[in-house]
Amino acid sequence: MSLLVLGANSLIAQAAASHFAAEGEEIIFCGRKQDEPEKYANDFAIRYKCKTSAEYIDALDYLSHKKFIEEVFTKTPQIDYVLIVFGYLGTQETAQNNFNEAHRIIDTNYTGVVSVCELLAAEFESVKKGNITVISSVAGDRGRQSNYMYGSAKGGLSVYLSGLRNRLYKSGVNVLTIKPGFVNTPMTYGMPLPKLLVSSPETIGKIIYRAMKKRKSIVYAPFFWWWIMKIITSIPEFIFKKLKL
Amino acid sequence: MKFEELELSGFGKYPKAKCKVTRPPGIFDLRELIKNNSITPRGLGRSYGDAAINEKGVVAESTLMNRFISFDENKGILKCEAGVTYKDILETFVLRGWFPPVTPGTKYVTMGGAIGSDVHGKNHHKVGSISSFIKSFNILTATGEIIECSRKKNSDLFWATVGGMGLTGFILDCEIQLKKISSPYIYNKAIKLKNLDILFNKIEELSDQYNYSVAWIDIVAAGSSYGRGVLLLGNNAELDELPEKLKKRSKAKYIEKKITVPFEIPFNTLNKFTISLFNAGFYTTARNGEDFQHYDKYFYPLDFILDWNHIYSKSGLIQYQLNVPLVKGKEAIDKVLKKVVSYGGGSFLAVIKKMGDQEGILSFPFKGYTLSMDFPVKKGTIEMCCELDKIVLEYGGRTYLTKDSILDEKTFKQMYNGIWEKWMEIKMKYDPKNKFTSNLGRRIGLCLF
Repeated sequence: MSLLVLGANSLIAQAAASHFAAEGEEIIFCGRKQDEPEKYANDFAIRYKCKTSAEYIDALDYLSHKKFIEEVFTKTPQIDYVLIVFGYLGTQETAQNNFNEAHRIIDTNYTGVVSVCELLAAEFESVKKGNITVISSVAGDRGRQSNYMYGSAKGGLSVYLSGLRNRLYKSGVNVLTIKPGFVNTPMTYGMPLPKLLVSSPETIGKIIYRAMKKRKSIVYAPFFWWWIMKIITSIPEFIFKKLKL
Repeated sequence: MKFEELELSGFGKYPKAKCKVTRPPGIFDLRELIKNNSITPRGLGRSYGDAAINEKGVVAESTLMNRFISFDENKGILKCEAGVTYKDILETFVLRGWFPPVTPGTKYVTMGGAIGSDVHGKNHHKVGSISSFIKSFNILTATGEIIECSRKKNSDLFWATVGGMGLTGFILDCEIQLKKISSPYIYNKAIKLKNLDILFNKIEELSDQYNYSVAWIDIVAAGSSYGRGVLLLGNNAELDELPEKLKKRSKAKYIEKKITVPFEIPFNTLNKFTISLFNAGFYTTARNGEDFQHYDKYFYPLDFILDWNHIYSKSGLIQYQLNVPLVKGKEAIDKVLKKVVSYGGGSFLAVIKKMGDQEGILSFPFKGYTLSMDFPVKKGTIEMCCELDKIVLEYGGRTYLTKDSILDEKTFKQMYNGIWEKWMEIKMKYDPKNKFTSNLGRRIGLCLF
């Protein structure tokens, strides 16, 4: 069995992958930054004595995705788990004034993932097994003025995954949506977040690993975010629109 | 690059300063950073004082650069990035029969930090400090150039960087020689000693026969028990000398148990009474004898309690570690202890150890005795430490920069007389514009601004 990681630089992905690696599974690290996937592949090979490899993928280069997936599955036909973590937080304010930023946020978080997922779906559907895990976000549960560009892309992604899950269920392929809250990663570095609500990448990685093994559908990470989002989504819109969130 | 404005300190939580902090993911970002800023490399912030804080520049944490690069299974040579920690090394290599050749008292230390402080351990009298096992490292210097340093290549920068407190550049990766072991256990022998004279005699008599040697002393006891303590001696245990039960456990994955002090205790828990109680309790409950201890318990007893420094409330603690020459060493330590007692200050933990020689230019150790104590920061503590500095100077000794937060430039330059000048020459050669600075560096005159 093997795990394909799309977004090798992510601390959350590395944390989740470490559990698979500790079980001796092969890890394929894919990412956009040159040399970085190889560095992680190297590190994991030493740390966990597991088989690893590294591949290049750019989430925004849609045309390359088909060839990428074909090649990866030819090289490693036994890929059983795919973990998609690439994403881009961007800056809400910039995105409001410059459509390029908005475009990039939507494309990286939504279009790029959809492009890859469709190819994976076809691949797994044909063999009637497999697990696709994608990191969405609690930000996608309701739009807020402070980050609705990112939130809407993640919201769209969550809806897309729900549909994909529905489609692939009969083929025995599991689609897992992870909705993390605040996590202490380079993406959120320097942001003034409420300390009590911030989790470590290791905590989130472990939750993801367990959810993958148990073939769950939607998982809030950590679980208390389910409660928080339940409250936030239950506020009537006529009140919500007046809030400073 | 993203920055964070933080009130930052060392592990002693004293002193504190508002710092601009960043976590560069790699060399590219570091180079950009150096162009326009003066920077302080920081690992996990385990130095006690102000070595890794900088109120006038940027503090750059190495924690994202924490990957293993290569490992030679036959020779035990590990190449890794500077943010790799002792914990990473232990978790990966102990079961494969390799151990860090030198380890400080916590495993939450990065290799970059270990080199910058040239950390020593309980085996310093036998093998020296970590730099003795560093074969080479790559360092990013002020010009943005990456320089490979070893005993043969750019050796001046090599010797200025080990123990150089991060002021020569940003260490990117290093090559370290691990030590072969056959079990994760340490043979431990404890000997209770009734007073300071007996303690010193035993250290002299027995230290050289064991790899690990350290003596804990009860700093509070007075009269005929003054200076009583427990001498702890040890060696890495061979698999075949272990009892059956431990033999089996040796092959199993070690599961760490941890508790945490979740918040700063609002009042100072350490006062004369609790310290006396702890010290007397430690001595009374200690037993003469031998046993086998797991390395985690043996080397890192305080890591069991995460954030243990929180017991020192908000005001923090000062670790005071001195090293004095063998000749008259006992006399110096005796004087220091008496001075501490005269100030009514006890130390929660006081430790004496015999040290060997060290080559790093600013490295703390030299052949002699080291004494380390920790004091809660309160009225009189700093004044007392300045008095201790005087005694240390009088006997030709020095204090450990990694733990220091009070030395002034004049005292530092007296303690490291003839050494700092040599170091400064190399600093000026590689970093003439003072790109690498820290609060410590400015305080003791190792960087100019």
